[in-house]
Amino acid sequence: MQIIHLAAEAATQVSQISGNLGVIGYGLAAIGPGIGVGLVVSKTIESIARQPELASRLQVTMWLGIAFTEALALIGLATPFIFTA
Amino acid sequence: MFDDLNSVMRRVSWLGALLVSVIALVASVVGYFLAGTSGIFAAWAGSAAAFLFTVLTILSVLFGARLKIGGLLAMVLGGWLIKMVLFLVIFSYLNRAEWLVSEARPIVFFTVVAAVIGGLVLDTWVVSRARLSPEVKLP
Repeated sequence: MQIIHLAAEAATQVSQISGNLGVIGYGLAAIGPGIGVGLVVSKTIESIARQPELASRLQVTMWLGIAFTEALALIGLATPFIFTA
Repeated sequence: MFDDLNSVMRRVSWLGALLVSVIALVASVVGYFLAGTSGIFAAWAGSAAAFLFTVLTILSVLFGARLKIGGLLAMVLGGWLIKMVLFLVIFSYLNRAEWLVSEARPIVFFTVVAAVIGGLVLDTWVVSRARLSPEVKLP
């Protein structure tokens, strides 16, 4: 009985939550590229540590990887211009 | 003659600037017909934002390459963080800007997407054509 009461109370509180859904959108748009860029940089550092003479070549490849990954973030941040409430 | 990081990045910056100028020109013509003067400003704002994004990545890699390996990490990842904050500020300003009429809003988005995808194609093309060599030091 008490559980039902608590659930009803929680439901009233949820319906009172207000704000901009775009905030969640930003979080989702940033989390993937954030992990991606971190992986690209960490693997490049690992490779440079293994073979320092390849550093220049690896940095060019790293930059290309970062450019592709962060394009997602930029497109995600620009979506409010087409998805209007 | 082999290319190094600096020459590749310099070529990408110049060609990227050229590509963004062409996209800004085409988008402002399209924007003018769709939304009038506001469409032109929307096209410029979108292409300027996309160009800033690309240039900041190039600068972070170039300056990071001069530092030790921890410096590279700090420059590239810190640069990414700064870029995200900068873009939140720019896009939240544009989102509330009164000069941006509702017809002109998709133009910002499509200009950004066109400049980003065009930039990626350009980057891949330049890197695949570059003659990169391992820096082998002969005894």
